[in-house]
Amino acid sequence: MSAEAAVTLNPGAPSLSRLARVMLKVGATGFGMGMVGVLQQEVVTRRSWLTQEEFADGLALANLLPGPIAVDVAVYVGYRLRGWIGATLCLLALLVPAFAIMLGLTIAYLHYGQVPQLHGAFKGLNAAVVALVLSVAYRIGKSSLKSAAQASLALVALAAAFLHANLVVLVLACGLVGALLLHPRPEAATP
Amino acid sequence: MNLLRLALVFGKIGAVVFGGGFVMIPFIQREVVQHYGWLTQQQFVDAIALGQITPGPILISATFIGYKVQGLTGAVVATLAVFLPSFLMTALAARQMMRLRRNPRVAGFIRGVLPAVVAMLLVAAITIARSTVWFDWRLLFLVVVSLILLVRYKVDAVYVVVGSGIAGFLLER
Repeated sequence: MSAEAAVTLNPGAPSLSRLARVMLKVGATGFGMGMVGVLQQEVVTRRSWLTQEEFADGLALANLLPGPIAVDVAVYVGYRLRGWIGATLCLLALLVPAFAIMLGLTIAYLHYGQVPQLHGAFKGLNAAVVALVLSVAYRIGKSSLKSAAQASLALVALAAAFLHANLVVLVLACGLVGALLLHPRPEAATP
Repeated sequence: MNLLRLALVFGKIGAVVFGGGFVMIPFIQREVVQHYGWLTQQQFVDAIALGQITPGPILISATFIGYKVQGLTGAVVATLAVFLPSFLMTALAARQMMRLRRNPRVAGFIRGVLPAVVAMLLVAAITIARSTVWFDWRLLFLVVVSLILLVRYKVDAVYVVVGSGIAGFLLER
């Protein structure tokens, strides 16, 4: 298609089909945050489509925005290389392997999940999920609860969440408090 | 209309999962399990575990929930809806990258959101634990071992999930 050549944003940008193939690979071989590592390897180290700095910018952006970090970075990569079409393609290609595998597992679970022999295995999975959620809370807490103000905010949020506050309102309210009171000040810029 | 409600619920969750895919857990628990009753607590926890052993983002658990609610169409709608908000925001922000990063208000917003995320995750962990592992000391022990492996030894989550499944299977025999 002649239009394809016209939308190329930079001369070193890959074709859409190559981009899609790489994203399919990342989606099929990376797990959770591990995808970021695979993505970096494919896009920066092996193919030099982006520099390390450009990739790090995408990672910083993904940390600012909602959504899974790896998916945000993939969309950023797609946008930087091939604009909106690239971004859309990267999202879909990244999700296709996960979607297909999850669909298969879901159907299997709904059919065979009640098999008594598997009860123990699912109980074990419960324990893993509780541990995973706690480990993520620990990881985010360790890097984000750095001041007394943030720790107090966490305690207030904890009480509110226990009392069944609306979680969307809670997140946005805490963000607002942060934007008003916790933003970095020029004179306090040194850590 | 179930399909529209599914799209709205997952679109809303997709717009507020600051801090990565795991942050969806408290939201999904509140909306999908407690409010709409689309899933039992047990199915919800299993959906997360399955999302964990599937390559790709954890948020793919949305596929499970969508399928449970409305079959294949539901799976497609829930999956697209949950990723759409962050897709749009990322692509739009990719242009404004440098300005956004240097804006102190944006940095402040994230500094305020993350403590809330930590609190919500703790509440979600307690809620899940109370309905599953609370009354069985062997499972509580498995939680502690898994936590140590994840935090102290940085073992990949996939191995912890599969290992816990096998341990649970052996304990129950």
